[in-house]
Amino acid sequence: MNVTVARVFPFLLVVLGTFLWIGYAITDLTGGGRKSSAAVDISPEGGEAIYWGKGRCFTCHSVGGEGSAVRGPNHGQFGEKFPLSMGARAEERAKERSEKEGAAFTAVDYVVESMASPGAYVVNGYKNEMAVVYAPPISLNLTEIKAVVAYLMSLGGDLDMEAIDSGPSEITQKFYAKISAAAAAGGGDPGLGAVVYEDNCSECHTLNSEGGEVGPDLTDISAKGLKFISTAILEPAKSMTKGFETYVVVDKEGRQTVGLKSRDEAGEVDITKANGDVVTIAKADIKEIKIDDTKSVMPDDLSEAMTVKDYQDILSFLMLQKSKPKQ
Amino acid sequence: MKVGTRKMVRQLQSGLTGVSNGVVAKRCLAALTVLGFAIAATPAFALEENVYRQFLGIDSRRLIWFLAQMHLFFGAFVLGVPLFAVIIEVIGWNNKDPKFDKLAYEFTSLLSVAYATTAALGGLLAFALFTLYPTFMGYMAGIFKDVMFMYALLFFGETFALYLYYYGWNWLKSDKPFSPTMQRLFKSLGLVVAAFGLVFAFGLIGPDMRVDTRWFILLLYIAPTAVGLLIIKDLKSSHIFIGILLNVFGTAIMQLANSWAGFMMSPTGVDSEGTFVGTVWQAFENILATPIAIHRMLGNMAFGGLVAGSYAAVKFISAKTPEEKAHYDWMGYISNFVAIAALIPLPFAGYYLGREVYSTSAVMGNNMMGGDFSWTFIIQAMLVGSLFLISNYYLWSGMTRIPGAQRYYKFIKYILLAVIVSFAIWLTPHNLPLSSQEVGEMGGSQYHPMLKYLGLMPAKNAVVNLIILATFFSFLLYRRGNMHDAVSIRDQGKGARITIIVVGFAAIALVAQYAVTMLNMDPADLDLPADRAEFIRMIGYLLVFQCVVGLIAIVLALFDRGKLGQALYLSVTAFNVTIFLGVWGFVVMEKASPVLRNVAVSQFLQLISCLILVSVIDVFLFKRAKSLGELQWGKMTVRSQYALLLLTFIITMNMGLMGFIRSGLRGDWHIFGVMRDTSEWAYTPSNFVMTQQVGGAVLLFMIGCAFMFWLGGISSNKTED
Repeated sequence: MNVTVARVFPFLLVVLGTFLWIGYAITDLTGGGRKSSAAVDISPEGGEAIYWGKGRCFTCHSVGGEGSAVRGPNHGQFGEKFPLSMGARAEERAKERSEKEGAAFTAVDYVVESMASPGAYVVNGYKNEMAVVYAPPISLNLTEIKAVVAYLMSLGGDLDMEAIDSGPSEITQKFYAKISAAAAAGGGDPGLGAVVYEDNCSECHTLNSEGGEVGPDLTDISAKGLKFISTAILEPAKSMTKGFETYVVVDKEGRQTVGLKSRDEAGEVDITKANGDVVTIAKADIKEIKIDDTKSVMPDDLSEAMTVKDYQDILSFLMLQKSKPKQ
Repeated sequence: MKVGTRKMVRQLQSGLTGVSNGVVAKRCLAALTVLGFAIAATPAFALEENVYRQFLGIDSRRLIWFLAQMHLFFGAFVLGVPLFAVIIEVIGWNNKDPKFDKLAYEFTSLLSVAYATTAALGGLLAFALFTLYPTFMGYMAGIFKDVMFMYALLFFGETFALYLYYYGWNWLKSDKPFSPTMQRLFKSLGLVVAAFGLVFAFGLIGPDMRVDTRWFILLLYIAPTAVGLLIIKDLKSSHIFIGILLNVFGTAIMQLANSWAGFMMSPTGVDSEGTFVGTVWQAFENILATPIAIHRMLGNMAFGGLVAGSYAAVKFISAKTPEEKAHYDWMGYISNFVAIAALIPLPFAGYYLGREVYSTSAVMGNNMMGGDFSWTFIIQAMLVGSLFLISNYYLWSGMTRIPGAQRYYKFIKYILLAVIVSFAIWLTPHNLPLSSQEVGEMGGSQYHPMLKYLGLMPAKNAVVNLIILATFFSFLLYRRGNMHDAVSIRDQGKGARITIIVVGFAAIALVAQYAVTMLNMDPADLDLPADRAEFIRMIGYLLVFQCVVGLIAIVLALFDRGKLGQALYLSVTAFNVTIFLGVWGFVVMEKASPVLRNVAVSQFLQLISCLILVSVIDVFLFKRAKSLGELQWGKMTVRSQYALLLLTFIITMNMGLMGFIRSGLRGDWHIFGVMRDTSEWAYTPSNFVMTQQVGGAVLLFMIGCAFMFWLGGISSNKTED
């Protein structure tokens, strides 16, 4: 057997050698390891580092002959399909948009929009599937996004650092505000947060005059801040809104009803239970009615039903809920 | 999604257009205020400094990677071998054939050294993790402390079961029946467990869980335990029950450990400060935990089979007598058979896992198939394609020891052609890194005008199915090599007919249930407009057609036209899954891409149904058929044994490679979206680094195997003495 083992091991070494050679050849063809960049400044060089590193833009995009991804549009000049590099392309598209809408829209607005709201303009022949770059796992911060904008604008366009950083247009400012708010909420995606809201919250809460009325109106919830919203989701009993306290009503037969006191008139009260059922109880039948500040009608196990991503998405969505200005 | 939400989503997607300038300025101010507040409340986990340490200046990540890989190699072997050792023991017990019992014992004898090594490596890995990544491990231990204790306790169970199973082999071999009372007691216990399983299956017991987790627990823990108790009637059957318990403990250990790996990719129940607010069950049953467990389970079985096969190959090559050669030839054949049986469903388990990864995060999904790991998948396709090709070669070599198999040699070249063409298509990338000049020569496109289609999922799904069908066809030829001709099924009595009908209907039901799903599915469930329903319905109609052909095949088999029935069902399946759905997949991809996953599921179900139905007909078609001569075990070429060894090397490399992909998908996150890797090693290594790392681990594992085989040899010599 020892002789056999001595014969088999050279065979194993040949196989492993081939395996190593394949790894070497492919790495030689496609490039080495992908290292995330450290903190960057707002410059084309900083943006380039993010593009090919932490931002993972190369996963879907290429720049001319650099990179091999084709899931998203090539950002360089490439064949007949992409006669212009990204900077010049952005200027052309911004011009088209300005003419179409009759309002100023700059190339920087276009590039920033493509990251803040990728679905706003989808290049013909590609799917609306770009990842939210300011949400996990990519989680770019505003500085890093500005750097990527500078890099993309430097590709054949007129690089205007003032428009990117120190004096952005109002449209760009809006997108920056959206990115900042979402990134602050753990980097959630507000668009997906809306879906989580619909699935978990809309039956009981009102938002922009739509939804249920069991819980407080959330139309202006962002004004209460991230910490309040976070606690309200995870431990609803700790952040009860006035007027939405939990009442425990015990009638003379000992039956207990728990819920919101949604109506209190002479002779009777309405208690709205967590499932939305309304129970009307005559005051004459009530033995005891009290507020229980240790309980909330809102389910306290929402966190268990959510993934981290759901949670961050809904936080970022709620952080954007502000009442509409009066005209 | 309700209308209101859609509106909100649209508002979000379109930004805040149409708002006056003054309002914008106020909003920006408000947003900045909120931001200021928010930064003060920025999640602590994002800011907390993650502590990293080094041992002797070694790159900690590569050290952990290496140790984890070694632990997994040995662990996979230890978990994989008992799965089929017990099955082989049951075959021997049922047929009263001591040859199978001896083989099962020989397989088990390889385990004891591997088990101790696995435990030692596991301890080393745990120490390395806790000392080199203290913050990360502190966080994980905080969440999984209960699971970790359970993991340790299960080890006691597995250790006890393994040593009792191995060392008690001769002690528990008597077939002297227990007293009727004792037998009734075990049967009653078995019935209680079975009843519990039934209640559990319908979700009346246990926490809320995914359907796949429920079935995993039911099929791998509850059902085997119930069956094990029901069959106990003497010491030998008690020994089999211990073997079943060994597998239950081993699988549970694997599932617990998988939950940690799954949590790192798809964490649940964590708040914005990284504090765990869910239940242990939710952390344990995270989205990817069960898909990983299913994939590993099958992978371990194939791996265990092939490592045991390499033992047989080495023993065959060094055998001195014809008897020894015959024994190890047979052992190698059984090992390869086990491996192929596990390899066939493995691509589908991988597809399921990949789908769940994509559902968890599109970024991870894109990175897997189109990002950092797209070329790693090309290497993986080379390895998996080689596994099937070499497995086929081994079967064809095996036909030389079968008198009469020469009749089927003529088919081999066609099977080889199908496997090679499929292999080539499987490893064709969608796009290639090209120079500008090369792009210009291809008309300004990064895609090759023709090859680009072969790089897409529909083509790859089609050829994976064809490779599996071709391998199955090889096996059928091998099986009937020395059979004179088919026998009459009608003459085999009711039992044969009932078995064909029951198993055949079960196979058809697999397809039929999905046909019903496809014919009733609302396109809105896949976020598709109503006019895309035709793409879903077409799959339904095709499956109905498949069911009808299946029924015809059963009827033909019952009327002694089994070969025709088999040919019909095999041909229709090959046409449906490879040609029709291969082409239809491209249409679906263009017009209704979410339906593509349903196409893949339908291909899998048709294929599995075909394997089941054709196999059951084949069993009765050649039951007690006139033999053209006994199998001449031992009359195998040495070359074929090197093929068996090569299979082991390849599957081991492939396991390491797949581990690299699965773990690397998280990018620079220890726990995806929760805890970022802020170490200097936070990057995705190149494929060359991967081959170095995996190659080194494979080499060391193989040296470990040689040591195990040597010890196994000493043990078997002692037994023979």
